[in-house]
Amino acid sequence: MSDTTFVSKSPRDSVALRSSSRRHFRRYWQLYVMMLLPLCHFLLFKYAPLIGNVLAFRRFRPGMGPYGTEWVGLAYFERFLQDPAFWRAFNNTLILSFGNILINFPIPIIFALLLYEVRSKRFQKFVQTVSYMPRFISTVVVIAIMGELLSPSSGLLNRILGSLFGMDPIYFVNEPQYFRPIYILSETWQFTGWTAIIYLAAITGVNRELFEAADIDGATRLQKVIYVTIPSIMSTIMVMLILNVGSLLSLGFEKVLLLYTPSNAMVSDIIDTLVYRTGLTNQNYSYATAIGLFSGVIGVILVSGTNWLSKKMSGESIY
Amino acid sequence: MSTKRKFRPLTTGDVLIYIIMIFVVLVCFVPFVYMLALSLSSPEAIINNKVSLYPVGLNFEAYKQIFTYPNFFKAYGNTIFYTVGGTLISLFMSALFAYAMSKRFLKGHKLVMMLIVFSMFFSGGLIPTYLLISNLHLTGTVWAMLLPFAINQFNLIILINFFRAIPSEIEEAAIIDGLDYFGILQRVILPLSTPALATIGLYTAVFFWNDWFNGLIYLNTNQYPVMLFLRNIVNGTAMVGDGAGAADKSTIAMSIKSAVIITSTLPIIILYPLLQRFFVAGLTVGSVKG
Repeated sequence: MSDTTFVSKSPRDSVALRSSSRRHFRRYWQLYVMMLLPLCHFLLFKYAPLIGNVLAFRRFRPGMGPYGTEWVGLAYFERFLQDPAFWRAFNNTLILSFGNILINFPIPIIFALLLYEVRSKRFQKFVQTVSYMPRFISTVVVIAIMGELLSPSSGLLNRILGSLFGMDPIYFVNEPQYFRPIYILSETWQFTGWTAIIYLAAITGVNRELFEAADIDGATRLQKVIYVTIPSIMSTIMVMLILNVGSLLSLGFEKVLLLYTPSNAMVSDIIDTLVYRTGLTNQNYSYATAIGLFSGVIGVILVSGTNWLSKKMSGESIY
Repeated sequence: MSTKRKFRPLTTGDVLIYIIMIFVVLVCFVPFVYMLALSLSSPEAIINNKVSLYPVGLNFEAYKQIFTYPNFFKAYGNTIFYTVGGTLISLFMSALFAYAMSKRFLKGHKLVMMLIVFSMFFSGGLIPTYLLISNLHLTGTVWAMLLPFAINQFNLIILINFFRAIPSEIEEAAIIDGLDYFGILQRVILPLSTPALATIGLYTAVFFWNDWFNGLIYLNTNQYPVMLFLRNIVNGTAMVGDGAGAADKSTIAMSIKSAVIITSTLPIIILYPLLQRFFVAGLTVGSVKG
């Protein structure tokens, strides 16, 4: 069903074009009608908020619409750039993000490589199915379970530590130094299996002949993984890295919010929770929008930056 | 891996890999087993730290208690309503949108595709979205839960790619048979797309089932979904153990928390083994390409 069949052969181009486009709409109007409602919905709920970011440059007055009343220029940006609370959140975001990538970027790759080496296909399938199940569990449930496992009075972990090493119970979820490990490890638990699916699919797609050639050359299992499998899935690894670096400033906001307590605020206050508190709790809408816009723009710069860098260096890109 | 090596003896490497894999399986399972054990144990056993992987002093008090708590029932009902309603609206909107967008020859197709992809990288942000929804007077109504999330760009692209992969001859035959595009979508395309629809339907259902944050910022207390109810119990904002009488409140709360965790996660745990092939399908059905 290509549109070329409806191009008129008339020599007078403009008339031909008009009549062909009229024919196009007569033929396909139903498809445009189909699109109408979802497109309006999409523009309303995705693009109206995007335009709503002008609030970062305008003063908000209650009851006067979501786009503010008068222009104030970069006043809100100047204000938050001088705000120590912003810089604390900024640093916390970067540290937590880098820590998270450092741990949770390689783990799914290693898991997928190991999983592929499992000899029994049925066991492999079983482990894989079990491993990505946590991806579908609510963050609220994950945090609630962690709260019980880590509880100082009767949590399983404190009991194990106590009986094995005679340690005093630690109030893990309340002590600032445990916030980052708890966040990062809970991400490991939730997402390792899910992310590994992508790598496992890539490994399964590697050309068999490469392995057979390596066998003939007398390569050991480990050598095959290092010299055949990993180079073959490098493009997948690069794409995943771009996506990871691109989302550096957007951590699991809901999880951080759930783990947030006044006593761990100095490490757990990230940009997103700062936006939430200044915006929705204190109703400083313009100020919070400015912070949110700033981190959103940095996010876009990071994605396109790493994408460009990766294109230059390895020829891999996501667009 | 290949069949001719099937009878190769297990090496140390194999054994190590099996040990690691069994460890992974345990790590995924044990938290739920522990929750189940806690929810079925007696308060005394919990206080004395006797409970680990199996119930001690088996009883169903915690479950009896949460089932007498009206807010729990209300919240559970709300969640079911949001999940069913939200998923239906989402499938309806996405199917219409994706079918039209699967036709590359439509005018403006490229522009709309660009708008979809761009909005995946740069979203409106929390505050502008909140202000929009409150200015549309959706705050405090169930529509605040059902409407804003009806179109998810990732799911949309999965569906667009799936529709594009359907051979155009099938549609041409349907046109010759006198069907219009609405008829084709309804009677030809959708029946052929049940795997893709099941996959994105499941993703959407899981999203609605697990959501709590949107409930928190947009809804009134009696409209709260069960996940927000759970979060409020964990937070100590809502007290469920009030009717517990003389027993230690914090310990009662522990078995009750576990019971709420189990009941609110149960649908996913039960449906998961049956539907898991649909859960991963999305990753393979539509690779994210514009």
